[in-house]
Amino acid sequence: MKKGQIDFQFLIIVMALLAFGLIMVFSASSESARYNFSNAYFFIQKQIIWAAISIVAMVMLANFDYHRFGKLAFPILLASIIMLVMVIFIGEDIKGGKRWLNLGFASFQPSEVAKIAIIIFFSCSLSKNPGILNKFWRGLVPYLAIIGVFAGLLMCEPHFSGTVVLAGIGLVILFVAGAKGSHLFMLGSPAVVAGWYLIISEEYRWKRITAFLDPFKDKLGDGWQIIQSLYAIGSGGIFGLGLGRSRQKFLYIPEPHNDFIFSILCEELGFIGAMLTILLFAALIWRGIKIAMNAPDTFGSLMAVGITALIAIEVIINIAVVTSSMPVTGMPLPFFSYGGTSLLIIMCCMGIMLNISRHSKS
Amino acid sequence: MQNSKARMKLKKRMYYTLSVCMLLLVLLIGRTGYLQIARGDQLQKQAVEQQTRDRIINSKRGTIFDRNGKPLAVSASVETVTASPSEVRENSKVAPTEKVAAALAEILELDYDFVHGKITRESSYEIIKRRIEKEKADKVRQFITENKVVGIRLDADTKRFYPYASLAAHVIGFTGLDNQGLEGIEMVFDKNLKGSPGRIISAKNAAGIEMPFKYEKLVNPQDGLNVVLTIDETIQRFAEKHLETALIENKLLKGGACIVLDPKSGEVLAMTTKPDFDLNNPFDLQDESIKKQLQLLDDDARSKANEEELRKMWRNKAVVDSYEPGSTFKIFTAAMALEEKVVSLNDTFFCTGSKKVASHNIRCWKAGGHGSQTFVEGVKNSCNPVFIEVGARIGAVQFMNYFTGLGFTQKTGIELPGEAPGIFHTRAKFNEVELATSSFGQSFQITPLQMISGVAAIANGGQLMRPHLVKSLTDSNDNIVTEFESEMVRQVISKETSDTLCWLLEKVVADGTGSGAYIKGFRVAGKTGTSEKLPRGSGKYVASFAGFAPADDPQVVCLVILDEPSSGLYYGGQIASPVVRSILEDTLNYLGIEPAYTAEEKATLETSVPTVAGQTIKDAKSALSNQNLKAKVIGQGDTVLSQIPKGGIKVNQQSTITLYTEEYSEPVTVTVPNVLQNSVLSASDIILKANLNIKVVGAGASPEVGGVTAYKQDPPAGTVVEAGTIVTVEFRRIEAGE
Ligand SMILES: [Zn+2]
Repeated sequence: MKKGQIDFQFLIIVMALLAFGLIMVFSASSESARYNFSNAYFFIQKQIIWAAISIVAMVMLANFDYHRFGKLAFPILLASIIMLVMVIFIGEDIKGGKRWLNLGFASFQPSEVAKIAIIIFFSCSLSKNPGILNKFWRGLVPYLAIIGVFAGLLMCEPHFSGTVVLAGIGLVILFVAGAKGSHLFMLGSPAVVAGWYLIISEEYRWKRITAFLDPFKDKLGDGWQIIQSLYAIGSGGIFGLGLGRSRQKFLYIPEPHNDFIFSILCEELGFIGAMLTILLFAALIWRGIKIAMNAPDTFGSLMAVGITALIAIEVIINIAVVTSSMPVTGMPLPFFSYGGTSLLIIMCCMGIMLNISRHSKS
Repeated sequence: MQNSKARMKLKKRMYYTLSVCMLLLVLLIGRTGYLQIARGDQLQKQAVEQQTRDRIINSKRGTIFDRNGKPLAVSASVETVTASPSEVRENSKVAPTEKVAAALAEILELDYDFVHGKITRESSYEIIKRRIEKEKADKVRQFITENKVVGIRLDADTKRFYPYASLAAHVIGFTGLDNQGLEGIEMVFDKNLKGSPGRIISAKNAAGIEMPFKYEKLVNPQDGLNVVLTIDETIQRFAEKHLETALIENKLLKGGACIVLDPKSGEVLAMTTKPDFDLNNPFDLQDESIKKQLQLLDDDARSKANEEELRKMWRNKAVVDSYEPGSTFKIFTAAMALEEKVVSLNDTFFCTGSKKVASHNIRCWKAGGHGSQTFVEGVKNSCNPVFIEVGARIGAVQFMNYFTGLGFTQKTGIELPGEAPGIFHTRAKFNEVELATSSFGQSFQITPLQMISGVAAIANGGQLMRPHLVKSLTDSNDNIVTEFESEMVRQVISKETSDTLCWLLEKVVADGTGSGAYIKGFRVAGKTGTSEKLPRGSGKYVASFAGFAPADDPQVVCLVILDEPSSGLYYGGQIASPVVRSILEDTLNYLGIEPAYTAEEKATLETSVPTVAGQTIKDAKSALSNQNLKAKVIGQGDTVLSQIPKGGIKVNQQSTITLYTEEYSEPVTVTVPNVLQNSVLSASDIILKANLNIKVVGAGASPEVGGVTAYKQDPPAGTVVEAGTIVTVEFRRIEAGE
C-alpha cells in the first residue's frame, strides 16, 4: 500500500501539547525540585530526555504500518495480562498501590500497556468479525468479560482510575463498533441501579463521593489537596499570575508537576491559558475522530477511536478532579503531567494515529 | 452496500462519542471559568492568606520632654526573640531543638520546657521573650550564627524607659505590654506618641519557611511624635522634694498633692501626687506594708485587692480627687464681693465667735471670736462670720454666677485622664445656709486643679487661663508639628479687683494666718485652708495653702494639699504654708527672679563671713565690722590664726566671729542651749548670749511675724561645740488658725 501524507494538523497539535507540557512541567516542578533535590532542573531534565525518546518512538511508529498490529494483538493482550499479574506480586509500591514494574533503567505501569492492548485487540477482533456485536452471549459478553478480567486485575493493585480508563476505552470501542443499544441498556441499567444502591447503602461511601462538593469541610485532611488546587485555580483569575509565578507550587500543592499540574497552569496562565489548553485537547480529539472516520478500514477506525478515547477520558477526568467537579482520583494529564514512560506510551499512540492518518481515504 | 451501511453506523457512533467529549470539555471550561472569574477573588484572598506572613515592625514611640527638652520618657531599642517552629524543626538535623531550647533558656533566663515547648509547637510564629536588652540579644545572635540555627529571629522592638523613675509619675503615666499608653500623658497622647507600625509582608511556603522572594512588601513604620510638656523638671523636683518631706513629717494618711502653675499662660510647671511610684515598674506596689497585707489573702482576693491598690497608687490626686477647699476659697468670696462692690476694705465687722444663719448657728474657727475688725483684718484672720456676711451681700445668684465663671463647675480640660468636675449645689437648693457655708469654702468640692486655676486667674489680672500640660508635639527632627497655644477662658474679675486681692493676700502672708509662707525678699501672697472631712468631728482634715509670688507681678502659683495629717498639727497655716514657701523660694531663685528686700528685711539679711585668718587683729576686726559682724578675740597673739565660723559661711548680721590668735590655745567650747518653743527674738537672744550664732529658717524668717516658734534646732541642746558655731533653728507657725 502506498504511503500518503500524515495528518499535519494532528501532528502540530501533538507537538504543541508536548512543548506546552514540557514548559509547564518545568515551571511547576522547579520549586519542589529545588526544595527536595536542591536542583530546580531535576525533573525537567529527565522529562526532556523522555520527550526526545518519545518523539523518536512516535516517528518510528508513524512509519510502522498499523495493519501489522493485527498479528501482534493477541500476544500483546497476553503479555499485558502477564505483566498485570506480575505487578501484583513484584510491583513497586508507590503511594498505596503496586502499580509500577521496575525495568532497572525505568519503571512503567503495566496498566498503561493494558490500555493499548485492549485498544489493539478490540479493534482487531471486532474488525475481523463484523456484526458479531449483534449477538449478545457470543458477541458482547466475551468482550465485556475481557474488560472484566483486566478490571479485576487492576483493582488488585489497586488502581481505580486505571480501571475506569480501561473500561471506558473498551466500552467506547464496543459502542462505536456497533454494540446494540438494547444490549447496552440491558446491562447498563442494572449496573447503575446496583452501583447507586452500593453507594447510598453505606454512609461513608456517600460521604466520600460527595466530599468533593465541599472540600472546605475538611481543610487539613482529605480536603487539603483539592483546596490547594482551588486556591491555585482561583488565584489565576482571567490572565494568571504569569508563567513561572505560581505561589501554590511552593509545597502547597504536593507534587505540583504531577496530577495537579493543570491547577498550576490555571494559576500562572489564568482562564485564558486554561481555556486554550482545553481547546487544544478538544482539537486533538476532533482531529483524532476525524482520522478515525477517514481510516481505510474498520481496524484503523476503531484503533483511532480507542486512542482518542484514551486521551479524552484521561483529560476529562483529570480536569474534572482538579476543578473539584468529581471525587479525587489519581489521574495524570496527558502531555502535561510529569512521567517518562506514560509520555512515551502516549507518543507511541500518537505515532499510531499518524500512521493511520497516512492511510487516509481522502 | 452492507459495508457502507455499517460504515455509516460507525461514523454516527463516532459523532456521538465526539459530541459527548466536546460537551464535557465545554462544561469543564465553564467550571474553570467559574472558579477563576466568579470565585477568583475570594479564592485568591484565601490563598494569599496562607501564603504570606505578616510581621509587624513596631514604630518608635515618641519621647516625652519637659519644657526645656529634658527627656522624661524615652523608648529604648530592644529586641524580641521569636521562633518559627516549623523552620526550627526542619533544621533539627543541623541544630537539634533540644540544644536550641537549652541555649535560649540559659541566655534568656527562661525555663527549658517552656522554650522547648514553644519552638516545637505546631505553629509558624511564637514569641519566646519580649524586649530583651542588646547584650542578651547579641548572645542570641552569636548562638544563632555559630550553630547555624534557622527559624529563631530577633525582631526590633522598643521598650519604654523613664530616666527619672518616679518624677511626675502621675502626669507622665506609663505604657503596657504592647507599648500602649495606660495612664497620664502616655494614655491621652497615645495616638500621637505611638505613630503607625510598619509591616513586612513576606511570602512563605507550605512548610512555613519564608521565601526570599519577589513579593515581599515593606510598609515603613511611622515614628511617633514627641510630646513637649509644660512641666519644668527642676521645678517638678522642688515640688516633689518638699511635698515628700511634708508627707513624712505630717504622716499624711491619704497622701498629698501639689501643683505649680504659670498664671500668665496656664502652663502647669509642676504637678505631683505623693506617695508616688516607679514608672519603670508601675505594677509594683510601693507600700511594703500593703504588700505584706496582700500576701495574707488567697489568690483571687489578692489579685483583686492588688488591682485596687494599684489603681489607688496611680490616682492623680491633683486632678481626680475633689476636696472641700475650706478657707482658701475665701479668696474668691472676697474677689466676688470686691468686684460687685458690696464691700470696701475698711468696712467693719464684728465676730462673736459664731453667726446665726436661718436656724443654724455657724461658728468661727476661733472660739470667742475675733471681735471688731475691718474687712482687711477679717481676711487676714480668715474669720468665718465676716465671710458669711460678705457672702450674703453677694447673694446666691451672683455667687453661683461667679462660681461658674471661675470654672469650678466644669472640668478644666487638662490633658489627663479621669479629671473630676467637682460637686456643687444645684441652683434650686442653693439657699441661705448653703450660701453661708459656701462663702468660707465648705459644703462643696472642687479639684486641686480647679482651685489653682481659680487662684491663677486672681493673680493674672482676672483672666482665667485654661491649665494645660502640653506645649507642643514635635517630630523626630524636633520640628514643631502642633503647638498648643495658651488659651484664655474668660475674664472673671477686673484688673483692679485682681490688684486689690494680690495686695490683700500678700497681707495674709506678711502678718496673717499665711505667715508660714513668707519669704524674705519676695512678696508672697496666699491663703491658708483647713477643712474637716465629713462627718464633722471625724478628726480627719485636709490642710492646704494656695500662694503666688511676687504679689505685684505674679510669676508662679502654687497649691499644696495635705490629706489627713496624723502627727498632731493639721492647720493649713501650720503645715501646708511652709511647703508652699519652700517650693516658691526654690522656684523663684531657679527662675532668676531678683529678690527685692524691704529696709527691715535688709537689716536682717545674712552676710558672708570674710576670711580673716593671717590678718592682724585690727585688720580682721575692721573687715568683720564692714560686714556688720562682731569679733571675739581669744588669746594674746597679734595675728588671727583661725576663725569660727570659717570664711564664706553665711550668718546673720550682728553675729559674733571667734578669732584665735595663739597656736596652742584650747578651743573655747560651749554647750548648745535649748531654744525650742521660743519666738525668733528670744531664741536669737539665748543663742547669741551663749557665744553661738543663729541661722533662722522656716516661717520665722519674717521679722514682724508673731505666733511663730522654734520647733527644730541643729545641733540639738546639750551638744558641746566651739564658740561661734552656727545653730540652725527652724521656726513654724504653731498658733492655731486657718
Ligand atoms: Zn472670727
